[in-house]
Amino acid sequence: MKRVIATVLAVAAVLSGCSSDAGDEKPASQAEAGKLRVLAGSELADLKPVLEQAAQATGVRVEFTFSGTIEGSEVLASGKADGRYDAVWFSANRYPQAIPDAARRLGAQAKVMTSPVVLGLARSKATELGWVDKPVSWSDIAKAAADKRFSYGMTDPSASNSGFSALVGVASALAGTGSAISATEVGAVKPQLKGFFSAQAMSAGSSGWLSEAYQRRATGEDPGAKIDGLINYESVLLSLNAGGKLPEPLALIYPSDGVVTADYPLTALKDAPEHARADHKKLTEYLRTPAVQRDIMSRTHRRPAVPGVELDKDFGTRTLVELPFPATEQAFDALLMAYFDEIRRPSRTVYVLDVSGSMAGERIEKLRAALVGLTGASNDLVGRYRRFHGREEVTFLPFSGEPGQPITFSVPEVDQRAELDRIKQTAEDLDSGGGTAIYSSLERAYQHLGAQPDDGRFTSIVLMTDGENNSGTDLAGFQQAREKLPERLKGVPVFTVLFGEGNKDEMADVARRTGGKVFDARDTDLQHVFREIRGYQ
Amino acid sequence: MKRRISIGLAVVLLAAVVVAIVFGSGDDDPVPGQGAQVVRGVGGSEKAAFFADARVVEVFGRHGLRVEFDSAGSRQIATTVDLAQYDFAFPSSRPAAQRIKQDKKVNKVYTPFRSPMAVATFAPIVDLLTSQGVVHKGLGEYQVLDIAKYLELTGKGTRWDQLPGNTAYPVRKNVLITTTDPRNSNSAAMYLALVSHVLNDNQVVATPEAEAKVLPAAVKLFIDQGYTQSSSEGPFEDYLAAGMGKAPLVFIYESQFLDRQLRGDGSIRPDMKLLYPQPTLLSEHTLVPLKGEGGRVGELLSTDPDLKRLAAEFGFRTDDPKAFLDLLADRKLSAPADLLSQAEVPSYETLERLLNEIAKYYR
Repeated sequence: MKRVIATVLAVAAVLSGCSSDAGDEKPASQAEAGKLRVLAGSELADLKPVLEQAAQATGVRVEFTFSGTIEGSEVLASGKADGRYDAVWFSANRYPQAIPDAARRLGAQAKVMTSPVVLGLARSKATELGWVDKPVSWSDIAKAAADKRFSYGMTDPSASNSGFSALVGVASALAGTGSAISATEVGAVKPQLKGFFSAQAMSAGSSGWLSEAYQRRATGEDPGAKIDGLINYESVLLSLNAGGKLPEPLALIYPSDGVVTADYPLTALKDAPEHARADHKKLTEYLRTPAVQRDIMSRTHRRPAVPGVELDKDFGTRTLVELPFPATEQAFDALLMAYFDEIRRPSRTVYVLDVSGSMAGERIEKLRAALVGLTGASNDLVGRYRRFHGREEVTFLPFSGEPGQPITFSVPEVDQRAELDRIKQTAEDLDSGGGTAIYSSLERAYQHLGAQPDDGRFTSIVLMTDGENNSGTDLAGFQQAREKLPERLKGVPVFTVLFGEGNKDEMADVARRTGGKVFDARDTDLQHVFREIRGYQ
Repeated sequence: MKRRISIGLAVVLLAAVVVAIVFGSGDDDPVPGQGAQVVRGVGGSEKAAFFADARVVEVFGRHGLRVEFDSAGSRQIATTVDLAQYDFAFPSSRPAAQRIKQDKKVNKVYTPFRSPMAVATFAPIVDLLTSQGVVHKGLGEYQVLDIAKYLELTGKGTRWDQLPGNTAYPVRKNVLITTTDPRNSNSAAMYLALVSHVLNDNQVVATPEAEAKVLPAAVKLFIDQGYTQSSSEGPFEDYLAAGMGKAPLVFIYESQFLDRQLRGDGSIRPDMKLLYPQPTLLSEHTLVPLKGEGGRVGELLSTDPDLKRLAAEFGFRTDDPKAFLDLLADRKLSAPADLLSQAEVPSYETLERLLNEIAKYYR
């Protein structure tokens, strides 16, 4: 199982010459003194300048491989991190700590910085809601959201810690028991959670992409309706404000009943070589000195982890109440499964799938496997959360020289197996042959979506192709036609998947103009990419 | 079973901080331990800063030793850590040391440091809990957190915002002391020892009946906290850096708090207060020699006056109570000379059984 976060690879490479695959069997690089091989959350890319100075000061270089927290925990638990990484560095150790096979591999840990997950709202919207400089609880937020008084973006809780923290935070606060939320208590707050999530207008697989996408929407660079705010790390929201590109700054709303805070523990693996554990000590000691803590605070807007470093004034002076966080995999799982199958706004996705002649052989097999993987065939930790969920509508639109017939599936809220099996069967029956009519098929996908009711679903298109367009409309023709689409369809993002000899520039163009994103599956497992895209749907 | 123990008779101790760094061990450090015999030890994170201290390194250097110390939870040391690579183990409690002593057939152990368990909190919380009768002046000249009264609140799942007349901290969270993870950390095991004593009508838990009696309430004290950190430095650091909103009451070693005060680095602000539980409980940091020069480290910690003085600098009580109290007085600080009404720590086997039962609720 391969795990790549394509967007941050470039950064990673600069930082380190980093490998792209968190869980691959071959070593990321050889262990050596003075180098710490770290499996880390992608948002840590912003520490690059700090870590460069750290390398100068301590002689310890960090080599990052990026991964989400749950994916990373799974890599740890499976043993695939053994010998490949010396340390892990996620936004929190709460998740790996709850997975026994991951927890027992964690060694010495040192918190490096902290950032609570809070709501950022365009200032005018916050004023309109009467939420500026006034205590606002999660219940107030959930109620206003249920009444559609504002809209927001949030990351997928199975892909990114900020979304996961927000889900735990809002559920715990709404349950109001004063102790860590349990699996059974999740059920009682489902109706309120449903109200809260009905206002979610954007999802993403990473906190960084979400913040960029929010900004592009706010400035009008991306199509689609403006979004009023986003739930993200305080550090991301403050960075957006500091960037100065937003038409109006975000007001940060710190829920009065509590937040969940990331504390970024740099954690040595228990079985890392002795030199690596010594390097870990050296590096964490350095990172936790007051001067470096101040540097991290001013560069990244994260709070210091050690006492005695005064907070910048951006952070305000309020006392942040920390909500208790569940400690068991069972509680996490209950919350995530309820979120996906029952609580969140269901999605509608059209998969536009290239089955032209060039896909014959290994390629079509990979495509089939990638789709089958989303039907619950892989019941590993990540697979469980990325499969097609209850209430979801999925359409396959296979194409070659011309668009094929769309086949639509509706996964019921309960008893999902039969419909998932139908999807599986259909994926397995995909066959290759013929030309490549990419853009005519994309137009057909919009046509299909246009014929569906406007029922408040998360709507997106996935376009997977392994070659050049050689039939039907061309890119220019498609872009012209797209301009004439109704607003509702113009805002539908297209997530393009580069495969085989797919045209990189054209796929990037389509993604950019639609507010989507390119995923590169040329050097990695298609199944992993399809899973990753699920975080955006 | 109440005992009166003069806390002062403890032996050397150490303090807590962060993830250890052995200063003398880097290649770039030419002075202290050059040419010295390396002695490797493993113990609780609260002792890491002591062994990392340049002055401590220097004293050991004078004796021809260089101590390299790794942090690990006391329970891990007694169970999962591969001890073959170490010359000594230095868990933070007698029961854990007892287990290693038996397993490794060691005759002589050293208990150079002791530290009473304490609760770090804030002035508004002290006032609030005083008004509720949970905090009061104890038998000695210090304020106590009355564990029996505290357990009345937690037994009912009382939230802070349900305390009558509470305007200082009206938070919708349970009144609950923050501990470490009972599955791997000694300070959580000490907390369990303490509450089990009170839940068992102030008797040490020593029978299956008593275990069954205390378990339900004890489980709740841990499970209601949700996620807990695995070393005692974690929650104390949250207390220092994040403050009252995150950690209003934190179970720590007295030495952790005193160490910070003795450093005089401003990390203990005027509104930060230390309470002693009633009954109190002593954590006896016990060094178990495993091979090589491990025993000499225990001996030096117990006998070398410089090391004892340095231990006091890190907030640990040694067998020289006067040195400890004088040092505090010298820095215009204070700590109780005697702690009264001591709870007894159950046997290793009893504690293990209770902890294993509690661990089941994390699955």
